[in-house]
Amino acid sequence: MNLDFLALAQMAVSGGLMGMAYALVAYGFQLTHAAGKAVNFGQGELVMLGAFTGLSLSGCGLPYWAAVTGAMIAGALLGWFVERTAVRLALQQHNEGWVLLTIIVGLFWFSAAENIWGREDKPFPVPWPESALDFFGISVTWQELAVAAGALGMMTLIELARRYTMIGIAVQAVSADQDAAELCGIRSRTAISLSWAVSGIAAAFAGTIIGPVTTVGPTMAAALTLKAFSVAVVAGLGSSFGLLLVGVALGASENISGFLLGSGWREAPALILLIVGLALRPQGLFGKKIIRKV
Amino acid sequence: MKAYRSILAVLLATTFSTSAMAANVVKIAITGPFSGGSAPMGVSMRDGAKLAIAGINQNGGINVGGKRMKIEIVERDDEGKNDRGALVAQEISSMGDISAVIGTVNTGVALTGDKYYVEKGIVKIITPAAGSASMTQWSNAGTRNLPIFRFAAYDGIQARMVVEQAIKMGCLRVAILHDATNYGVSGRDDLLRQINNQGGRVKVVTVEKFAIGDKDMTAQLLKAKAAGAQAILIWGIGPELAAVASGKQKLGFRVPMIGGWTLSMSNFIDTAGAAGNGVLMPQTFIEDESIARAKPFIQAYHKAYGVTRIPSPVSAAQGYDAALLLAEAIHEAGSTNPSGIRESLENLKVAVKGCIADWKKPWSKWDPSKVETHEAFRRENTVMGKVQNGHVVLANPADKIVLQGKMLNK
Repeated sequence: MNLDFLALAQMAVSGGLMGMAYALVAYGFQLTHAAGKAVNFGQGELVMLGAFTGLSLSGCGLPYWAAVTGAMIAGALLGWFVERTAVRLALQQHNEGWVLLTIIVGLFWFSAAENIWGREDKPFPVPWPESALDFFGISVTWQELAVAAGALGMMTLIELARRYTMIGIAVQAVSADQDAAELCGIRSRTAISLSWAVSGIAAAFAGTIIGPVTTVGPTMAAALTLKAFSVAVVAGLGSSFGLLLVGVALGASENISGFLLGSGWREAPALILLIVGLALRPQGLFGKKIIRKV
Repeated sequence: MKAYRSILAVLLATTFSTSAMAANVVKIAITGPFSGGSAPMGVSMRDGAKLAIAGINQNGGINVGGKRMKIEIVERDDEGKNDRGALVAQEISSMGDISAVIGTVNTGVALTGDKYYVEKGIVKIITPAAGSASMTQWSNAGTRNLPIFRFAAYDGIQARMVVEQAIKMGCLRVAILHDATNYGVSGRDDLLRQINNQGGRVKVVTVEKFAIGDKDMTAQLLKAKAAGAQAILIWGIGPELAAVASGKQKLGFRVPMIGGWTLSMSNFIDTAGAAGNGVLMPQTFIEDESIARAKPFIQAYHKAYGVTRIPSPVSAAQGYDAALLLAEAIHEAGSTNPSGIRESLENLKVAVKGCIADWKKPWSKWDPSKVETHEAFRRENTVMGKVQNGHVVLANPADKIVLQGKMLNK
């Protein structure tokens, strides 16, 4: 019994730490949704491209930190590119074509990655030790800790920038009311572009921190978009703190259901969570009900 | 109109010239996964076979009924996918001028594709796919005049070696882990059969499976640990095997990991890193230049492909020897006709000196009740390998004599 409990705790901790990565990708959804009311359904592919860019850069002999920074720059460009090509025009015409367009751009990234880097899964070398730490019988690897710390750190940084820098406040103004913000002299188009670039940074960074755990390959983030989207929807598209809680809960429940029901059932909780979440609280667990005055 | 006519003329000319050329070449197809998780095996097998073929062509080709014929290769990537493999087999078997096929890494691909070759009677040497099912499917069906041969230590041998190794190490409570592919499932059955053959000596405490693409094996390993497993017997391919090794290290679960020969794949060794050290698997070839028989092949491979390590040495060596055996069979048959090649493969007169062994009549006339008639390898050709710092070495240095010696098959 004690051993079973320990095993469950181990599964929950491993899953929860990886769940932080879901939260980080979901945060990328939140950023673009707040600013421009659209999200990138190819976000998982940005994660994958970020990981591959980081891997290639560290393959060129750059130290880990430089490779991660390079991946983040690539992520920013890619995020900006997606907004410019797939989203802006559709939104200007007030149609929902961006949903399909972002998926298509994602598919394009996927094919490109297959052709550039090949279909094999590659290991992502990291500077920290391969060994595991032991907390009361629960093993945690440095890679897992790096995922949690990285996700938390990145979200905190972006959130601080959003709240306390001039540019961040401008972006917030655009998300509150685009027309009013424009009247105050804020270029809303730039603000939206910026939030897409930052969302791309978050995705690429997520790739470089989960790459060492999952290995890097074109399919590494195939399920990630859906899981992160579930987290974003269930938590509500307004609360970054909620994302962390839901992300951790989703990661843990995935692992536990895989352990108790068999590994084939691992993916089930994300889908159930999404369905139940949408049915019970469409505005999200931590979201505010939007009241539209007509 | 004039333009059409000249195009037609060019087309006709090229058609005739290729058919005229075709009379002087033997066409051999090489199929396997050249991309995806099984690629190290597929690419090494292909490159090993091409090395042998390049050597033969350099010496003027094969002497077929007094005429020198060069070998032309047709390559197809099956991506390790069953459906893709079936398409590739369909395509090759309908080309009409293919004399023989070498290849297949994934047992599932052999299960879905080989029926097309059997229908047309095209000779195929399966290498390095090891899953028992790719041959037993024909013995179960009672197929006659089977044109499918295997050149790999099949899982029946490998499972026996793995179980014997576990007993030798005193691990009598074992956990079986396997992937959900045809290869993994048939490997699990082979392991259970071999454990059964040992009487009640070895106890299986748990059987766990995982899917292709799984990166987190904590659940399976925790169950094995909780059940008190003293060793993990495993059947899978590189990336997932690496995830198991890393998971074991993470949980501090220090028991031996013994499994199929796929544990020697470069994508296992590289991804698992230090966590892969000490892992044991059956091997038919070791990339060790101190083995006199292997040295020329290893050096030639390194030179031809500009590498310092063969991605999957077993696949490369088996591809090489299989191509040599096939060339000898075509020579002895005196024709490029598949049914002639099949008969001479079943009754090779001259011993072929390969980089694994001297092959003297490795196959015999197909008997559906004896699958060994079309299996080239025996327990005695196979040794235990061990992962050590990024390389596969002999687990038992005394085994060098097996790979060194002029040991003849049968």
